[in-house]
Amino acid sequence: MDELTVALPSGRLLAESFAALQAAGLARPVPPQNRSLLLAWPDLRTRVLIAKPVDLLTYVERGAADCGIIGKDVLLEQDHEVYELLDLGFGRCRGVVAFPMDRAAAWSASARLVRIATKYPRIAERFFWERGRAVDVIRLSGAVELAPRVGLSDGILDVVMTGRTLRANGLVEVDEVFTSTARLVVNRVALRAKAQRIQEAMEQLRRATQLLLGERS
Amino acid sequence: MRQRGTGPPWQRIPAGTRDWSPEDVQALRALERRLVDLFRRWGYQEVRTPILEFLSTIERGVGIEGPHGLFVLVDRTGDLLALRPEMTVPIARFVATVGFGRARFAYVAQVFRSRDTARGEMREFVQAGAERIGDAGPEADAEVVALAAWALREAGLSGFRLGIGHAGFLRSLLEAAGLDEEEQHAAQRLLYRRDFVTLAELLAEAPREVRDAILQLPGWRGPDALERAAQLGVAPWALAEVTALMRALAPYGIQADVEVDMGIIRDFEYYTGVVFEAYAQGVGHPLLGGGRYDGLLGRFGVDRPAIGFALELDRLLPIVRPQTATPALTVRYAPSGYDLAVRIVLRVRDAGVPAVLESAVGAADPCIMVEDERVRIRDRSGREREVAPVPELIVQEAKRLWTS
Repeated sequence: MDELTVALPSGRLLAESFAALQAAGLARPVPPQNRSLLLAWPDLRTRVLIAKPVDLLTYVERGAADCGIIGKDVLLEQDHEVYELLDLGFGRCRGVVAFPMDRAAAWSASARLVRIATKYPRIAERFFWERGRAVDVIRLSGAVELAPRVGLSDGILDVVMTGRTLRANGLVEVDEVFTSTARLVVNRVALRAKAQRIQEAMEQLRRATQLLLGERS
Repeated sequence: MRQRGTGPPWQRIPAGTRDWSPEDVQALRALERRLVDLFRRWGYQEVRTPILEFLSTIERGVGIEGPHGLFVLVDRTGDLLALRPEMTVPIARFVATVGFGRARFAYVAQVFRSRDTARGEMREFVQAGAERIGDAGPEADAEVVALAAWALREAGLSGFRLGIGHAGFLRSLLEAAGLDEEEQHAAQRLLYRRDFVTLAELLAEAPREVRDAILQLPGWRGPDALERAAQLGVAPWALAEVTALMRALAPYGIQADVEVDMGIIRDFEYYTGVVFEAYAQGVGHPLLGGGRYDGLLGRFGVDRPAIGFALELDRLLPIVRPQTATPALTVRYAPSGYDLAVRIVLRVRDAGVPAVLESAVGAADPCIMVEDERVRIRDRSGREREVAPVPELIVQEAKRLWTS
């Protein structure tokens, strides 16, 4: 049986991704104090590497990992040449444009250049371009909701799960840009060189995530 | 960003480009030479085209929706120019303007794509390839596919898989899904992006067996792949072409390296017939890709069938067997021996041994030492002995010393 290297994203999707892998029989629990970014279970013929979400597709695309789990938001933002094969259903969130309460109504009526702070500069450029709006995209790597409060930007484009962060920062959603869930991505060569192993892993993950989602609803 | 060094701007180079050290160049040249030689033995003659083309030429060839960002420049006349992103379109343009009927052409060329370098992708890279122009049919297909396999072997690669699919089959499969024109474009784009999750949503209303077939493309390969495809009744002509190609490949004796892979997705829209890609374990990207593009020359005014492929030399180099570089032989001279030393170094070079001329001051390496009319050989163990200043004798000694 071929050894399979799976890349998981650190951060918000990590816990659920890891749970999904375990439920699929592709990983075992690790002690909470474990800080290693590379885990291996020789008897399962599986290795797991933990990468920053923005780097994950690079690992998979270049074959350092055979497959990986990543949010659709990252797939939309980055250019990549990987296969996106499975919607795993968890990690649901929405990408939205949000403005401070007092400016929310005015922005759509005006043709002025809007300044948008975001972790998703390419999605933002595409979105406003398609709407024919002039936009100045300000690339930030986190805590985007701060930008309009201090005058760095007019609004933001960011992912929201519950909307609590938006409300806490006095922002209101004015448009939805995308919805996102966790996806299974596979390297082009691994899909062929390790075909059987990949197919099996996909089947196991599909069943495991359907069970997990079923339990929750 | 890949940014070389933190020094002042004049020490940096643009992201996605690289310098080549002597060792790098020697390895690249050796690979290029082996490939060009192979192409020549198969009757494919090397051609060159300009690095710059009119933007409209490139767009006419790869389509405005071509997947690759272009480097665009403005000419003094206001015309838009582009750095070539690949070589098939320039060669098609060349063939059409000169009006060759049939041709077998090969090339080694730098190509340029303005893409995201954050992923470690090069924006300038080297391709070697071959194009067979003016011939359709399974025998022509087989020759080019076999040449691709030979090229990988010639590069010194052991253990690769060459997958063969069909662009027309994929297109017909999408047509059979009953999408309107706009949706079909969207489906094509999703297929290029290999986004099978969104594709599944788009195909929700499609006939079940067509939808299942499209979604199963990523694993659709192996001995029974064609049989499975035939059951769909989609594009039987395309499947017949693949079958005929596999049959025509038989006498080349490369069955072990080749397999049918209906899931091969080449992201150039100009492909019309069989397409192929090669993979090696442990390398994340395909090393080679190609296919039949019967409509492309027609876009340049000369309707001809054609098929070709390109190898990615930057990706091949790190995995092919390394060439050990033998340094040049040194001919050293004391001031009194300069004239004789020059004559000797020229003779040695003529005999095919790389040689450099250096002064004798303070050196203790293996060399040919010339002083007055005397010639001494210093070997690798530091021993010196004198040889008669007879050219034939010295050349003989030089060869022995160089290969020792």
